[in-house]
Amino acid sequence: MNNLHRFLPTTRREFLSWGGRGIGLLAFSQFAPSFLVESTLAATPSPEKDRSILVLVQLAGGNDGLNTVIPYEDADYYRLRPTIGIKKEDAIRLDDTLGLHPSLAALHTLMQDGRAGIIQNVGYPNPNHSHFRSSEIWETGSDSEKFLPTGWIGRFLDNDCTGTPGTAGTGGDPVAVHVTNELPQSFFADKPHATFGLRSGGGRGNRENLAFLEKLVKDDDHEANANASFLRATMMDALVTEQRVQKVIGGYRPESAYPGNNFAQSLRNVAALIASGMSTRVYFVSLGGFDTHSNQVNNHSNLLRTLSEGLAAFQQDLVSKKLDSQVLTMTFSEFGRRPNENESRGTDHGTAAPLFVMGSGIKGPLHGTAPSLKLEKNRDLSFSTDFRQVYATVLDKWFACPTTQVLGKTYEPLPFI
Amino acid sequence: MKLDLSPQAAWQPLPTSQWNEDAARHLLRRVGWAAQPPEVDRVLKDGLAASLERLFPAKANLLPKPPLIARLEEDTPAYAQKIRTAETREQKQVLQREQRERQQQAMQNLVINWLQFSSRPENAATEKWTLFLSDIYVVSQEKVNNIAWVFQHHDLLRQHGLGPAPALTKLVSRSPAMIRFLDLQDSRKNAPNENFARELFELFVLGEGNYSEQDIKEAARAFTGYRLRKDEFYFDAKQHDDTAKTVFTKTGAFTGDDIINRAYELPAAGCFVPHEIVKFYLSEDMLSPDYLAPLGDWWRDTGYDLRKLALRFFSSQMFFHPAFRGNFIKRPSQFYLGLVQDLNLNVAPYPRHSLNTLRLMGEETFRPPNVRGWVGGRLWINSGTLNARRQLVETIFNPVNEETLNADEQRALVAARAEGIGTFTVEDDRLETMLQSMSTDQITARFLDYFLPVKISESYRSDVRDFLTRDTATEDKRIARLRATAVVVLQSPEYQLC
Repeated sequence: MNNLHRFLPTTRREFLSWGGRGIGLLAFSQFAPSFLVESTLAATPSPEKDRSILVLVQLAGGNDGLNTVIPYEDADYYRLRPTIGIKKEDAIRLDDTLGLHPSLAALHTLMQDGRAGIIQNVGYPNPNHSHFRSSEIWETGSDSEKFLPTGWIGRFLDNDCTGTPGTAGTGGDPVAVHVTNELPQSFFADKPHATFGLRSGGGRGNRENLAFLEKLVKDDDHEANANASFLRATMMDALVTEQRVQKVIGGYRPESAYPGNNFAQSLRNVAALIASGMSTRVYFVSLGGFDTHSNQVNNHSNLLRTLSEGLAAFQQDLVSKKLDSQVLTMTFSEFGRRPNENESRGTDHGTAAPLFVMGSGIKGPLHGTAPSLKLEKNRDLSFSTDFRQVYATVLDKWFACPTTQVLGKTYEPLPFI
Repeated sequence: MKLDLSPQAAWQPLPTSQWNEDAARHLLRRVGWAAQPPEVDRVLKDGLAASLERLFPAKANLLPKPPLIARLEEDTPAYAQKIRTAETREQKQVLQREQRERQQQAMQNLVINWLQFSSRPENAATEKWTLFLSDIYVVSQEKVNNIAWVFQHHDLLRQHGLGPAPALTKLVSRSPAMIRFLDLQDSRKNAPNENFARELFELFVLGEGNYSEQDIKEAARAFTGYRLRKDEFYFDAKQHDDTAKTVFTKTGAFTGDDIINRAYELPAAGCFVPHEIVKFYLSEDMLSPDYLAPLGDWWRDTGYDLRKLALRFFSSQMFFHPAFRGNFIKRPSQFYLGLVQDLNLNVAPYPRHSLNTLRLMGEETFRPPNVRGWVGGRLWINSGTLNARRQLVETIFNPVNEETLNADEQRALVAARAEGIGTFTVEDDRLETMLQSMSTDQITARFLDYFLPVKISESYRSDVRDFLTRDTATEDKRIARLRATAVVVLQSPEYQLC
């Protein structure tokens, strides 16, 4: 792949060196992405590399919290879940009442090392049971009754908080990267930001297509009109980022063994981008399939293993590369599931659930309180920690960003950082 | 390209000698979503005038009321009653929440049904026209907060959108969605609200600069008493100011309808909708008033007949002028529906791959950014929206991974398939058929000449041909190659244009 003809420099340094080799800057700037030209003209230094990074891991479909963190001493748990409940002897003991699902062994090791924690029973008032709507609430950070057009990460970027990179592609790096097919609603913003979408899992093997698209973008022999030129220039900007990202990912040597599944490979690619020194602040990765309405035991077990082993490989990689102090990882899911199992040995849409945080120096392992299970059939859990308290903690303690501007009001932070 | 037409010649019909395949494609892409080969053949066979008569029929096909909208209309009074009589605050909140959720679901149902309906070639031109009118007579679900009314509003535009404009404007002034959107129901005899009167002059009939603040104040008094009762327009005579008003230099005890008639008496009304058509269908760069004036005068003399205007505009030398070929940026809904048509697909039956995709591309259906609607043009394009467009193409060329769908989505998929709607992505067998029945040159021509609206250069063509024929040792590789070529061509800057 490396012998493919390259059409454009992919870094500022390379660009400058091309200029130095006598390729006229002005002649070139017609095609060159604006950020390269501008930063060359201004000769501005690249932004500092030391910065805090957040990796969001979405567990799409609604993760079953009660089979993730198991209240193994609670008779109500086994009353509500006679067939799918995790047996006391199978749970990995966290304390005298709570244990982890056996698939979460790798995460448990991280907790013992002080590198991961659990925030229990996280939700919001007046919970909504629709995937679409509840995801929207989590991603926009809105109240259940309110509709917000922007996401919480988008507003973080809009607010240009301390340490937030500039909006106009400082150094050409995207400010936020998602490894999902769709742009996450969390990233929706009022101002335009350079965001970038990386294909889930692989991302490799597309370089040839990308080079081909780039070739077509450059081939403007046919009669050009103003809109076509505008589209070409905008697309060129995006392609240069993509090409650089592909190069980084293709040449990455991880320091830990990532499992072969898409999720772990996505995390590997995130690690590659972090290790390359890109000034990106937020990454968004998604693991789907948590909508376990029927025969959930094996499915859920596999999903949790994928999650746990992927996260552990990622953290191990960051630690070996001495990047772990820069990166905080956090999971979320649109809702937990109904406390009682249904007739199909699965669980229906519920409300609150635990989420994981991971990084060096995470305090814990347990935060907040476990939910009460003194419930009749088809009743839901009552949350005890608002998800926006978690966001507030991340914004305030991790990003040093005034939280009220992003969340609309003040939420009490949690002591996990 | 210089616009070398005289204002007199501009609106004359395209000479028959210039009615050819390129012109036919231009017509279909601009009045609808795409230029599908059978449609191109058909309009060429029928001729331009007859084709326009068919594409813009006196009576447009109506989008059937989506089932969840019908359910919402039916249940809402009972819900309202229950909410009113709820015993505790908690019960009330639960009911309100349910009601909001039903609105949301009905909205998704509406958008998906609308996309499916619009993607049919026979509805493309009238649905785009309805979209055009909804960009003039703007309402937003954001404020209206009643998706059944938003549906009714668009239904009204569909039913009366090819009749006389004054009649349409009068109906719009009684549309529940509009009454709520522009605060007419809060306009009282002693406290007239100027919102509707202002937008009537500025955005529906005349355009900025053709009225005074005093005209608005006086006109607002004529629209007092417009109310809603049981989801329908109702005129409350007690709240209506029936005293004399002076609007556009004439004085009388005008009603709302009188004011609308007065506005259409002004010469500016003739040029307003033509100006909007140019902006929506032809070019971001506005035509000089010298061009618009003769069309405006003529349109006024037709009694502001919208159908006649459409027929004249879309058959004119101006519309077909080379200066306007292949240089208009597709709005997100056209990019989406154009792909669906170009690839003979069905609209995916769940929000993630329809509603959400449109939103990511910058067009949130039924939620325009403000009273002016969408600005459009280059504002549709930035690195994020362009990325969303490219992603949509990728999605369409990869099989639906049903394991990653949630249960709601899987149900929607099953239901759609039961109705015979099942082609949401380009599957291998279709690519295989293409490979077996067409030569490399034919495939290249299909991609470049059917999909792209601009004449492409020989070097571009040979780039595509080379890419298509590289590494084709096995059947699988040939299919993968074909898929990659199609994806890249549809992601190219040229395909964003029409």
